[in-house]
Amino acid sequence: MPIRTPHFPDLLFGSASRLRRWEDALMGLLEAHGYRELHPSLVLRESVPDGALRFFDGDDLVALRWDFTVALAGLLARSFPVPPPRVAYAGAVFRRPAQPWEAVERFEVGCERIQPEGEPSGEADVELARLLMAIPGVLGLKSAILHLGNAALVRRPLEAEGLFGDLADAVVAALSRRAPHRVREALDGHPSAARLTAHAEALLSGLDGPGTLDALESSPYADLLKDERDRMDRALKALLPILPPNLELRVDLADVAGLGFYTGPTLRLWAPGAQQELAAGGRYDRLFPGLGRPWQAAGFCVRLSRLLDLAETRPDLFEQPQ
Amino acid sequence: MRQTLLIAFPKGRLGDELVPKLVGTPLALDAGALKSRVLRIPTATPGVAVLLLKGADLPRYVAAGVASLGIVGSDTLDELDMDLLELADLGFGACRLSLCAQAGVTLDALRAKPHLRLATKFPRATEAWLARQGLTAELVPLSSSAELAPLLGLADAVVDLVQTGGTLKAHGLVETAVLGRSSARLVAARGAYLSEPGRIQPLADMLLGALKAKA
Repeated sequence: MPIRTPHFPDLLFGSASRLRRWEDALMGLLEAHGYRELHPSLVLRESVPDGALRFFDGDDLVALRWDFTVALAGLLARSFPVPPPRVAYAGAVFRRPAQPWEAVERFEVGCERIQPEGEPSGEADVELARLLMAIPGVLGLKSAILHLGNAALVRRPLEAEGLFGDLADAVVAALSRRAPHRVREALDGHPSAARLTAHAEALLSGLDGPGTLDALESSPYADLLKDERDRMDRALKALLPILPPNLELRVDLADVAGLGFYTGPTLRLWAPGAQQELAAGGRYDRLFPGLGRPWQAAGFCVRLSRLLDLAETRPDLFEQPQ
Repeated sequence: MRQTLLIAFPKGRLGDELVPKLVGTPLALDAGALKSRVLRIPTATPGVAVLLLKGADLPRYVAAGVASLGIVGSDTLDELDMDLLELADLGFGACRLSLCAQAGVTLDALRAKPHLRLATKFPRATEAWLARQGLTAELVPLSSSAELAPLLGLADAVVDLVQTGGTLKAHGLVETAVLGRSSARLVAARGAYLSEPGRIQPLADMLLGALKAKA
């Protein structure tokens, strides 16, 4: 069994100063693009999930803020009849980590782009990708990699096959491991086994530039996913001409992290040699309707705690501050 | 200068099958180092070395990015449930994860026990099987020689890996149910693979090519 000790890191002078500088720079970038800051309370009273840091306030079970997107969604749904289109946030979230070396208190900066239902969302997705492309430069990363994915590439075939519950979870877990043989094992005897295994092999056949999209042609669900493919193609055409020299763009068709939450395009920022993604986000069109608001949304979050760790362990990945 | 790329190999049964498969390939292990007690062995390809690790520890070295790739049994992967990429089923080292009891003890007899005790090195897989079967049991965690447990009264049965069945037969045990199957898998750290596929994938291709050439 893993041995876990709560990891509540204190930030000493260098990291504390870096955190302040990065928060200011990132919030400045977001503000310059029209994103206005909201600061949801540190204590949340919504239904508290496992993994949150919970405590009793009198008779009420409450928790420290565990996720900015969820906290902001609650605040926006309660307080605004019409959503502000662009929202930014900065601060800490508290969550019991999946990996023992991760901190419980994590510093984040992020943004959300919210639209009324039915409004075309392609431009908003590209706007977020462009913003994320600017972030390595703001943080002083010498080079970075932006992965573009799309949760619908897995969601839609599973839904079309009527695959839900444990079996769908097993397929997603196999894709997360990038193991088409596990997809075959999980679906052994199921009528959709051959189709979904072929689809998994197509999704996992490459992790490269725009040409990776061609792999979708060999999928049995190529027609079903035509709209998603066209949408990714348009996004790539908009992003490639403005790609900064220190940033590589890759298409990751098999990105299934957060599949229960994301509904469309996803974004992940890596640095070569980093063991964890440094920023992540995507389209999540089901959150606000679940709160009674017919809004669609997308956003991303920069994981400053991981960046602070990276600056300590791999300073060679950053430009030296002037 | 780039660091040496490390591949984690399992010691024991899987390692005994793996190492001879690589003789004469670019990833052949240095014979002199292999005979010594060192656990970091150079290969025939400069800049690529192998770490010899116990199977249960191996995934941690890969997940932390210390080793770029590893080879480990899927039974170990399922038991540890670590965040690793599983790039290929290598096919060799195939065995069954089975419920084994003394000859004459049937699965129905075990089901009928009001307090079933199962000794195992695989508590996670055993719990999952019990849940699927709608059974409850006391799990007796062991790290080796599980075959002795039913013979000496420590448990009613064991859940263990069975390859040829020779060890079971020697102890008068028989398989009463197959819980799952296992084989060797090629694993990689998620972070290393996603942030540097140009470095990891060629190494994975080299390893797969070497194993295919000797198949």
